[in-house]
Amino acid sequence: MAKTNKMICPRCKVEMNHHCDKVVYNADTHDAGKTEPDLGGIIEEFHACPKCGGGASRRA
Amino acid sequence: METGRPLFIPVILGTVRLGRMSLHAAQLVTGELAKRAGIETDLIDIAKIPLPTNDAGEAIKHADFSAKMDKADALVVVSPEYNHGYSGLLKHVLDSCLKEYIHKAVGIVGVSAGPFGGTRVIQNLLPVMREIGLVTIFWDVNFSSVQKAFAEDGRLLDESYIRRIDKFLKELIWMAKTLRQGREQISLD
Repeated sequence: MAKTNKMICPRCKVEMNHHCDKVVYNADTHDAGKTEPDLGGIIEEFHACPKCGGGASRRA
Repeated sequence: METGRPLFIPVILGTVRLGRMSLHAAQLVTGELAKRAGIETDLIDIAKIPLPTNDAGEAIKHADFSAKMDKADALVVVSPEYNHGYSGLLKHVLDSCLKEYIHKAVGIVGVSAGPFGGTRVIQNLLPVMREIGLVTIFWDVNFSSVQKAFAEDGRLLDESYIRRIDKFLKELIWMAKTLRQGREQISLD
């Protein structure tokens, strides 16, 4: 489930835009237990700063 | 909405092979990009990115390459065709980033010594680009018989490539502007 709190751009200190969720098929064994069974991987959120254009991501 | 920030569209030279003719193609496309107002570009030579080969993926992210991919609004990948595929080191470099690519445009330039102009390497790169979050455009540039397209000093011998590159870059820039607007202004939810 997507987090509701906005990410803040570390450079500009403004709210970033959440523009993408992506399934990441992590091959790292320490993440294996975190896989969402319905989706087959780990959901990563991607955000962009409307001021500087910089990107950031976090686990959903 | 135009933000005033120039678009940054680097060109990735996707081979380390000695004597690579793709260098001339990459330099040509970089030069054509640099002529356009509102565009910044840079030629990124994967031979100059010192990634280790005893690990792979984001674990070996290179700070400078990552920063350039984060800044980028679109990419041009120049790839020769080796045995119908792309260079393993190109894939190694591309795999070192992910969040930096999401919802950004990419155009592919195929290079070959034979008559097909890298069409097979372009087809093989498309699913890779899709999985790492890049948005492919429908224009390609195909350098067939590349040894006839450039002189040894890199001078272009066939001016018809300029018009093809112009069409390719117009589409790439349109997509870069559109996707920047989407990334920065249009929410998923």
